[in-house]
Amino acid sequence: MRKISGIRSIVEVLSAICIKTLRYYVRYPGGFLLYLVMPFLFTLLIFGMGGFVGGSEATTYFTARTGTSNVLIYEILGSSVWMTSWVVVEDVGVSLRNEQMTGTLEQNFLAPVNRFTFLLGLSLADIIITAGIFFIVVGLTIWIMIPTAFLGLLQAYLVLLLGLIPLFGIGFLFAGFVVRFKEPYTFVQIVNLLFAVLTGTYYPVTVLPYWAQFVSRILPQTYVISDMRQIILANEKLVNLYGGVFVLLTLALAYPIVGYAVFKHLEKRASITGDFSKY
Amino acid sequence: MHRLKPCRCTMNPVDVQSLSKTFETKEGPILRKRRRSLTAVDSISFSVPKGEIFALLGPNGAGKTTTVKMLCTLITPSSGDAIVNGYSVVKEQQKVRESLGVMLTGERTLYWKLTGHENLQYFAALYHLQPSDSKEHIEQLLKLVGLVEREDTLVENYSTGMRIRLSFAKALLNEAPVLLFDEPTASLDPQSAHLIRDLIRDLKREGRSIILTTHNMDEAEVLSDRVAIIDHGKIVQLGTPTELKQRVKTSEVIEIEARNLSKQAVDAVQALSGVSKVAFSNTDREKPVLRIHAEKGEEILPRILELLVREKTAITNVSVIEPTLEDVFIEETGRSLRD
Repeated sequence: MRKISGIRSIVEVLSAICIKTLRYYVRYPGGFLLYLVMPFLFTLLIFGMGGFVGGSEATTYFTARTGTSNVLIYEILGSSVWMTSWVVVEDVGVSLRNEQMTGTLEQNFLAPVNRFTFLLGLSLADIIITAGIFFIVVGLTIWIMIPTAFLGLLQAYLVLLLGLIPLFGIGFLFAGFVVRFKEPYTFVQIVNLLFAVLTGTYYPVTVLPYWAQFVSRILPQTYVISDMRQIILANEKLVNLYGGVFVLLTLALAYPIVGYAVFKHLEKRASITGDFSKY
Repeated sequence: MHRLKPCRCTMNPVDVQSLSKTFETKEGPILRKRRRSLTAVDSISFSVPKGEIFALLGPNGAGKTTTVKMLCTLITPSSGDAIVNGYSVVKEQQKVRESLGVMLTGERTLYWKLTGHENLQYFAALYHLQPSDSKEHIEQLLKLVGLVEREDTLVENYSTGMRIRLSFAKALLNEAPVLLFDEPTASLDPQSAHLIRDLIRDLKREGRSIILTTHNMDEAEVLSDRVAIIDHGKIVQLGTPTELKQRVKTSEVIEIEARNLSKQAVDAVQALSGVSKVAFSNTDREKPVLRIHAEKGEEILPRILELLVREKTAITNVSVIEPTLEDVFIEETGRSLRD
């Protein structure tokens, strides 16, 4: 039996993990539906709360604080980025946890595959899924609401893809917690909810206290949401948003390095304690 | 069956040197947890030459699976090392993984929402098999384990036996020179177990070195070239099945199946002169078995029976048999393998 090596072997492994994960998604389709409707449901929630708090002046206040009167697109963009970030951050860890509980994690770790390649494979499947969800939710909404902004969507897509890289770093970090400590759900969900609070998902980060604004500046979603709104709602060009793009590039380098280092450390501990096979 | 990949090493394909594993656990109520050390494997050493089937035989919790998991790099040893195909399990884990085909216990080692074929296809990529070759190879493996007609069925719809056979096929994907099978026939029906044992013998004929763990003494006896009897993490006996049985000092073993067997009765039998060891196995609650090692079995048998009848024991079967590997274990530990 001949074997392959180098880049080709990595590509084969990545595509195998990706295809396997997508097959699972297709055979358990409920998750797709949830990801598709959640951005709309959260936007409806914000609409309701805005009307309740601001009454007939709600839209006026909204425009004064955000610079746009298009509440739906503003909120859908925030919701969709949050949902995308939720999937990416949670899925790598939860996939590992599911593999651990079904007994397949050890089988994967028995294979001569670099752990980084393995985590990257899980993340790549998420890129396809989240990009698809984003395209359907945001693309269709924009196409219906502001047909002229449809070209800007491609630039917004680029920002999103760039923003996914640091998110994978956060995903790797959670994956390490999962392998070592199990029970990822509570922690990941609290962090994901905090992301919604801190990254300007439903309101500008300027309404946050200063300390919270400081935290928001080290979170990639803050820049993704802000830049996408600029591109879609203010008709801004991506090249003019180089400040945010530069920060995203920096975070795209730092987060995966830190996340993978933490994963490797916790994975090593798990191999000493025998935690791979514990439920 | 398959072409064997050349073994890298000039020495034995598996060489285990003083391998130990101690787990640190915390026990007790939340605020008063205490650290506790549990030695699962205690300085074991053994080698497996090319083309040998080597069995680790012992009761549940003896340390067999921990040993296998250290050999396949899933658990880091606390001390010692093992060389697999010339590579250290401590320092060259990636190379060790390339040299091994592993089947771990249980049927939940596969993706149940994938078909049998998709499972093998996935793992073939993880083992870096050439995609153009792996298609035919997967077909051969599925044929070998009798699953070719169900290859497109989701694993969730397989029977337990089919899942374990698929798991076995997965272990053969990379044609590794060293194979580790952890309880390969546990929970299999006799037919499937027979098939797996035949396949293991074929693999040995191809020159592969095979380590299998089992608590089934018959399996260890019929399948293995050498057996290491392991208890509380230590190898207590090591040799060919024939050698080990010859080490049982008594020439005869009396096996008595009985109901209402009290501890008092067992103790009374143990106290009889001429009886060296008594082990009581109660795994099959319908037929508890008393295994008695005696110098002259036929002479002492009437006294044993008389004593048991006096203790109101209902005897259902009595036989005087040759020692088995179970008796080697009893001789060494004073307990039955099935305890």
